[in-house]
Amino acid sequence: MLSIWRGLVIQRRVVGALLIREIYSRFGRESLGFAWIVAEPLVFAIPVLFVWRAVRDPNEHGLSLMPFLWSGYLPLLLFRHLGGRILLFIRSNVPLLYHQRVSIFDIFLARSLLEIGSNLTALIVSFAVFYAIGAIDVPRDLPMFYLGYFYMIWWSVAVALIVGALCERTDWVQQIWIPYSYLYMMFSGFFYLADWLPPGIRNIALYQPYTQSYEMIRAGVFGSTITTHGDPGYTTFALAILTLFGLWLLRESRKYVVIE
Amino acid sequence: MISAIDVTKDYRTEGKFHRVLSNVSFTVAKGEKLALLGRNGSGKSTLIRLVAGVELPTRGAIEQTMSVSWPIGLSGGFHGSLTGNDNMRFIARIYNKPFADVKDYVDDFAELGKFLSEPMRTYSTGMRARFMFALSLAIDFDCYLIDEVIAAGDQRFQRRSHEELFEKRADRSMILASHIGEIIKAYCSRALVLHRGRGKVFTDLDLALDIYNDL
Repeated sequence: MLSIWRGLVIQRRVVGALLIREIYSRFGRESLGFAWIVAEPLVFAIPVLFVWRAVRDPNEHGLSLMPFLWSGYLPLLLFRHLGGRILLFIRSNVPLLYHQRVSIFDIFLARSLLEIGSNLTALIVSFAVFYAIGAIDVPRDLPMFYLGYFYMIWWSVAVALIVGALCERTDWVQQIWIPYSYLYMMFSGFFYLADWLPPGIRNIALYQPYTQSYEMIRAGVFGSTITTHGDPGYTTFALAILTLFGLWLLRESRKYVVIE
Repeated sequence: MISAIDVTKDYRTEGKFHRVLSNVSFTVAKGEKLALLGRNGSGKSTLIRLVAGVELPTRGAIEQTMSVSWPIGLSGGFHGSLTGNDNMRFIARIYNKPFADVKDYVDDFAELGKFLSEPMRTYSTGMRARFMFALSLAIDFDCYLIDEVIAAGDQRFQRRSHEELFEKRADRSMILASHIGEIIKAYCSRALVLHRGRGKVFTDLDLALDIYNDL
């Protein structure tokens, strides 16, 4: 029991040190660099959302467009950025593995936490911006919105685990990731509600944990004004399996790491 | 105590397995200094990396009951785009040592001066080796894993290294890969000779050096 506690204390310290190091090496040491953590996803989100608002019908399917895009695009950014940042993360951090206390999982954790933190900050700031100009309202069912977003984070982390571990074994993962992360936009549930799909396709779409998460996020944003099909029980089950698989892959990947 | 039991390590190159170490066993007791002897490519650095836990053995096990340093050699262990100070801060943090103490020690020992606030990729190989070596002494381990690094640096640095490593830390354990017979005979009590993946421990250092010279 005591040794588990000691292990946790060391891990907390290592992950903390990795986080600070990650921030320094990615954003530089100037205070502007620090602000960039928050600004980075915003630079993507705000212009894209404004352009869409300009070119599309503001009330598609009887839903107001801006909340629909906002609640679709920020989870998408999280998924893409987390997956993109995790590509070859083991290889590019080999110097860290010189230190026995630093594990691959610690490096993964630090990177994911930074990405999640920066995405959540962007979520809040972009909400504030659009709320201030009257483009969106507070989500009608906040607990449901949080639950959906939580599942979306979990899904993104589970995929990152698998992608990060597999790209040590084969370079194909890298090649596939880029087209996949674009195509993902189309079938993820970013552009649609499951309810708009024909029942046959809907049932298939709802096997996807991210479509489930989008359904819950949308249920949170629009409340009972729309029909959604999210199932937290199934989503938890599917994500738990993916996570266990990812953790196993990551542990195995240690064998494939060659350190010069 | 470190015990390596039947350690085997394979690498896969161009689809084929290449066995670097085959059933190598040895122990290092507290305070003991073990020399590693072998020609280039005989697996000395690989063995050191396995003991450090940087890589995992394909088969066999390495057990440790004391704190073991990272492999102290001519490269590795630092982040090139970060400055010396930032690398020091990071390593001090993970080993829970006060940064100020670590910095004072490294500053005094490695004599890098204002280079500490430059990115480490601008350092020369000698500077990097001096930096990482000084840093490992500042952290204070029970066992040091040293890969040829004694030969780095100028005479003054070499003299100070000997003083810090072999005199002030005479009670520590060490695994030392070196081609220099005098150093081995002066400090080590046993030698592990590696050849074609096999390893054998000798207590007679003269015999070990003779065999090494004939390889």
